[in-house]
Amino acid sequence: MKALAPEQIADFFAALTTSFDLRLPVMLPDGTRSIGTLEDGPIALQGGALASKPTAAFFPQQGIVFTAGGNVVQNNPPPGRSLLVVGFTRRDLDCLRFIDRFFADGWRDDLYYRQREHAVIAAVSGYCGPGGALLPLAGGNCDLEFIWDGSCWLVATYSESGRSIVEGISDSVTGETLLQISAASRVCVDESDTIIRQASELLRTDRVPDSFWEEIGDRCIACTGCNLVCPTCTCFGVQDWRYRDVVERSRMWDSCQLAGFMREASGHNPLGSEALRSRRRIHHKLAADPERWGEISCFLCGRCDAVCPTGIGIVAVSRKIVERFTTTKAE
Amino acid sequence: MKKTLTVCPYCGTGCALYLVSDGGRLIGVEPSVTHPVSRGGLCVKGWNAFAFVQHPDRLTTPLIRRNGELMPASWDEALSLVVERLRSIQQHHGHNSIMFCSSAKATNEENYLLMKLARAVFFTNNIDHCARLCHSSTVFGLAETLGSGAMTNSIACFDQADLIFVIGSNTTEQHPLIGTRILNAVRSGTKLIVADNRRIRLARHADLHLRHKNGSDVALLNAMMHVIIDEGRMNRPFIESRTENYAAFAENLLDWTPERAAAITGLQAGEIVAAARLFAEAKNAMIVFSMGITQHSHGVDNVRCCAALALLTGNLGRPGTGVNPLRGQNNVQGGCDMGALPDVFSCYQPVADPDIRRKFAHAWGVTALPDSPGLPLTHAMDAAAAGKLQGMFIMGENPLLSDPDQTHARRALENLELLVVQDIFLSETAALADVVLPAACYAEKDGTFTNTERRVQRLRKALEPPGEALADWEIICALAERAGYGGMRYSGPSQVMEEIASLSSSYGGISYDRLNQHGLQWPCPDAGHPGTPIVHVEQCTRGLGRFTPVTYRPPHEAADDEYPFVLTTGRTYFHWHTGTMTRRTHLLDREERSSFIEINPSDAGRLGVHENDIVLVASRRGEIRVAVRVTGMVIPGVVFIPFHFAEGAANALTNNVLDPESSIPEFKVCAVRIRRIV
Repeated sequence: MKALAPEQIADFFAALTTSFDLRLPVMLPDGTRSIGTLEDGPIALQGGALASKPTAAFFPQQGIVFTAGGNVVQNNPPPGRSLLVVGFTRRDLDCLRFIDRFFADGWRDDLYYRQREHAVIAAVSGYCGPGGALLPLAGGNCDLEFIWDGSCWLVATYSESGRSIVEGISDSVTGETLLQISAASRVCVDESDTIIRQASELLRTDRVPDSFWEEIGDRCIACTGCNLVCPTCTCFGVQDWRYRDVVERSRMWDSCQLAGFMREASGHNPLGSEALRSRRRIHHKLAADPERWGEISCFLCGRCDAVCPTGIGIVAVSRKIVERFTTTKAE
Repeated sequence: MKKTLTVCPYCGTGCALYLVSDGGRLIGVEPSVTHPVSRGGLCVKGWNAFAFVQHPDRLTTPLIRRNGELMPASWDEALSLVVERLRSIQQHHGHNSIMFCSSAKATNEENYLLMKLARAVFFTNNIDHCARLCHSSTVFGLAETLGSGAMTNSIACFDQADLIFVIGSNTTEQHPLIGTRILNAVRSGTKLIVADNRRIRLARHADLHLRHKNGSDVALLNAMMHVIIDEGRMNRPFIESRTENYAAFAENLLDWTPERAAAITGLQAGEIVAAARLFAEAKNAMIVFSMGITQHSHGVDNVRCCAALALLTGNLGRPGTGVNPLRGQNNVQGGCDMGALPDVFSCYQPVADPDIRRKFAHAWGVTALPDSPGLPLTHAMDAAAAGKLQGMFIMGENPLLSDPDQTHARRALENLELLVVQDIFLSETAALADVVLPAACYAEKDGTFTNTERRVQRLRKALEPPGEALADWEIICALAERAGYGGMRYSGPSQVMEEIASLSSSYGGISYDRLNQHGLQWPCPDAGHPGTPIVHVEQCTRGLGRFTPVTYRPPHEAADDEYPFVLTTGRTYFHWHTGTMTRRTHLLDREERSSFIEINPSDAGRLGVHENDIVLVASRRGEIRVAVRVTGMVIPGVVFIPFHFAEGAANALTNNVLDPESSIPEFKVCAVRIRRIV
């Protein structure tokens, strides 16, 4: 199968910038790994999931919706080149699948799909997690995948656009290593998977008392980081900026951890405490979305747990729920 | 798309973040994962730090008042006018008839340059900045007791304390990424004492919450130290080897029994004893304070007591200990370090010292520099109100909202012959100006900020300023040039830092090439020095730590029959000072749209007011209308109003009475009455 030696990676991606608006994992100046461009820093495919969510390429923190002036409303122009976004883990791809469906459902979000429509998605997997840990193989849900086998990047393709990108790479390795990684990925168990499902069940059967959420809410400083880094959080606010000749409407990521998110015009707030807002954040992903979409909408990317300054990300809270409220058969 | 590593423009915590831009537009923020302070997190203001930068209200061209209206003008005209009129005022009224107000929002380099402009070009020491309003009492009190007016320890030390004593700091709201360290430490077993009569978030996690009366900190701290000495819990070896004046200090505490302090503080004597024991028993105890300690007419005395408590128990110079004033603004530490103060050059070198003056005069290429300390900001406003100061140049401050007694502040500003304001938005103060100079904001320029733990960090330009706006340092240098001074020609801020380092020992080893990762903590005296996370390790900066006996003085104004409530003022989590940036940030503005007053349920019941009722709040100086919040956050008899809002401005009510030593106003206590009007 096709493979790239580490020393070929830079040239390979540099060549793609003529055809694509390329976003890929880079090492920023202070050692932060993030999705960026080749100008932002050296390529850093290794190291595991990125702190920033790759889906921001399609749904940025703030973006223009339209500008209006002189009786003309102008939409944002479509991108000049298609996006090629590299760096999705298997879990990130689950998140992408989820929000693709969300943004397409009913009223289709053209702002999102203007970026997403022709974008090429590349996953990263193999033994390139933190400290060389295995990032499970995606095996699909994307156009192509770069799989680190310990010495080179195996390249698997799953679509025409994926294949066209790598057609210049020669077949240099057998598929045996990929099979081994695939097998290892299948038996790769993340304890958090069980935790999150158990917590979901406890929430859906109403086994978590209000006092628990008081405790969690007491630790929430409403930084909003959990929402802003979450690839399946899709809430946004809208603002209009009035310049002399035009009005510019933009939208920005919003957060259900803010009191203003649900405050009514009367001033009454049905989510008027940190406890209620913390409950809502977890409940939405683990109890409401399974009803609405048929699946838990936390795919364990780990970003909210990493960004939360007080340790109340979704996995940490779920773990606490399971520890506290799971009753044994003997009980 | 581009990602630019820079420093958050809000509080003094100094979190690092990346500004994300695309095609010349800011589209978001990402935290730095490796930063030793923020460690991959940000608070809500940090996450929204990009959102005001390209607001349509940004100033884009100089403005000159003509026929009562501020009209667009060229830089050439505006700069010439500013220099000519400042010079003209000085010719008529003397060198000290003008005042320069620097900015804790501006960079170190800009603060240094404005200080240089005032002293070398306009020959006046009349330069100050908003540190006068927040931590001038800290700088004075800690310089006297320890020899250095900054945080003794590092933010990392919060993870190493066995006990944290927070007095007068709402840390989770005002220094959120420090506050969360405290929350995490408590979960790991660190004891927490909170002394603050508002039931702030930290209080909910505290082992002991002391809700003492406003302005009774000296009584509380004196009594705690009385108990420690009385029970023999002081650290005798430390006192003997590292301090002076203990005997006089201890004698002063003899009659500060918990019972006496209880009568003043409103606490139970047992609570004071418990606090003293908890503190003294801890192996490593850390004192954390902020505006609740400093903004009093006895602010320096409060600081002296905090320092004395650390000295008495030997909690100094080690990880997890120390006296830790949390600086409010992103660069208020740097503003002080750079000598934007009336009595010192950079790094606290006194203007009164002839050798120091000679050193700066030689470096700056001038024959002489003014020798007597200039006016503190608060005195300058008094002088302007009294017609004794004619010109004021304000860079990035909004005293009409931030200074005490707004009527007084307005009178002062309107009395001036010339008011020049250099800012990013047309603030309430800028709207009164004769000349307005449009400045670049933090995202549009290079420079350094110094955070609360003395960490000098680089901010980096992510995009061009709007219209004709220029970086503050460029404007200052252009003014110097207009004034005929050729000593302020720099290739950029890094060259300014070279000059700062050459003249200021604590910054001697600071240079841009050494700040590329996450900065250096001063003292950093030479190019090989790694920086100093903890000061006063072997000995205090001044040598021996000094105990100063403190006499309790009550706040200047007490509640009485006419004005039966004590008003205390401060900030909310979602807004920054006078709101020029945060009120133009959609999500932050949505969270807190307007001014409010916190009233205890028992008081609300007595007044017959309910949640969201509009009330008239009046003090002896003014009155405002604000919405009611009925909450147990405040104790009966005490109300709280934030000072962010021009409509419902808390500082229309506050008292312009000053600490005699530091000239800090008593923002934290004044008497008001409340009446329901809707």
